[in-house]
Amino acid sequence: MLLPKFDYHEPSSVDEAARLMGEIGGEASVLAGGTDLLVNMKMGKTVPKHVVSLSRIIELKEATREQGSLTIGACVTVADLRELEEVRAEYKGLFEGAGSLGSPLIRNLATVGGNLVTARPAADLPPSLIAYGATIGLKKETGERTLLLEEFFRGPGETMIEPGEILCTVVLREPPPYSGGGYVKLGVRRALEISLVNVAAFLALDGPSGPVREARVVLGAVAPKPIRALSAEHVLIGERPDEALFEKAGEAAANDAKPIDDFRASAEYRREMVKVLTRRALRQAYEEAKLREWRRWK
Amino acid sequence: MKTMITLTVNGLKHELAVEPNRTLLDVLRYDLELTGTKKGCDMGECGSCTVILNGKPVNSCLVLAVQAKGSEITTIEGLKTADGLHPLQQAFVDKGAIQCGFCSPGMILSASSLLQRNPSPTEEEIRTALSGNLCRCTGYQKIIEAVRSVAERDEG
Repeated sequence: MLLPKFDYHEPSSVDEAARLMGEIGGEASVLAGGTDLLVNMKMGKTVPKHVVSLSRIIELKEATREQGSLTIGACVTVADLRELEEVRAEYKGLFEGAGSLGSPLIRNLATVGGNLVTARPAADLPPSLIAYGATIGLKKETGERTLLLEEFFRGPGETMIEPGEILCTVVLREPPPYSGGGYVKLGVRRALEISLVNVAAFLALDGPSGPVREARVVLGAVAPKPIRALSAEHVLIGERPDEALFEKAGEAAANDAKPIDDFRASAEYRREMVKVLTRRALRQAYEEAKLREWRRWK
Repeated sequence: MKTMITLTVNGLKHELAVEPNRTLLDVLRYDLELTGTKKGCDMGECGSCTVILNGKPVNSCLVLAVQAKGSEITTIEGLKTADGLHPLQQAFVDKGAIQCGFCSPGMILSASSLLQRNPSPTEEEIRTALSGNLCRCTGYQKIIEAVRSVAERDEG
């Protein structure tokens, strides 16, 4: 398949990229990993006049830890994300999510930022990132802003990103003591698979046996965008974490889901699976939370 | 408008003038005539276009040649040594892990990259490492066995 013709730009800094996007943003596509953009261009779904590649911008490929937060550059690949010591040790839900995205070959190209701006309702990174309360940094020629990731998505392929704007960073706060996360994806195969349902959970407890101080449950592929299961969170907060509570939270989450019927699965099946996956994700989060005592990042 | 790029492919430096809308896969196949890298789905699903780009296996159909400017690339043609076939290539022959052969270059490159990082992987790790490479005829069992035979040899 041939790619349509376009002018290619390769800025070497975020400032230069923002200036360029300010001039041609309306007619340009931003190229990061290319695993979605090139496919869409080959299928003729996207025909940009200009392609602005971020691949030469070193600052977007770095991850830095400072003052109780981890800042991940938007062009960190999904494979490199899994190699970050913090992600392995402190954000297990994100580690899981990154491991179920695409295939090893795709993960070596695909970027963290790309998996967010494409805004696919079944994407693998948004649920856990939202569950961990991630914020994102956006930049354009005239300034920059920070947004809660949860507020970034509008619907399939639609985000709050403005013309000329570039997603530059994803920021995670240091996990509180007695907190943990989990992510469970359901698909019919284990690689190159679009989730039928995916669920991420985050719990922060007052002590090793509870009660639950903070809870976030995020559902993917059962609404036009990843959504918080607010009534499930309500069920959890203030209670002692155990199987019976997770069961109740699962039922509440199933009610929060707004799944559709399609060729991958029926709405009824998806709703039932939300119940099961929420329970499992909460179990994972709790197992981790019990063990994580207060230890500040050095 | 064509851009000048330098690619180091299998240790050889090439200067090329390429249009920005050409994929690395097409440049390897049509400009450098390295047709061991196969073009299957051209959509990043099948893995038959796998090459090692700066030490990591990727789908070359999803990379623009201009993005690869200055990179080091290994294709299946670059695996053989002075002594003959790469041990993985020989293992694919010995174990009959090959029928039509279309997936073999990608399978072997993904496997070689795994063994470089992890010389004695478990079966699960082999299966995961090859999960982006599809085979439609031999089936996976013999391919996994071929990779295991090389891994075990490394261990002893």
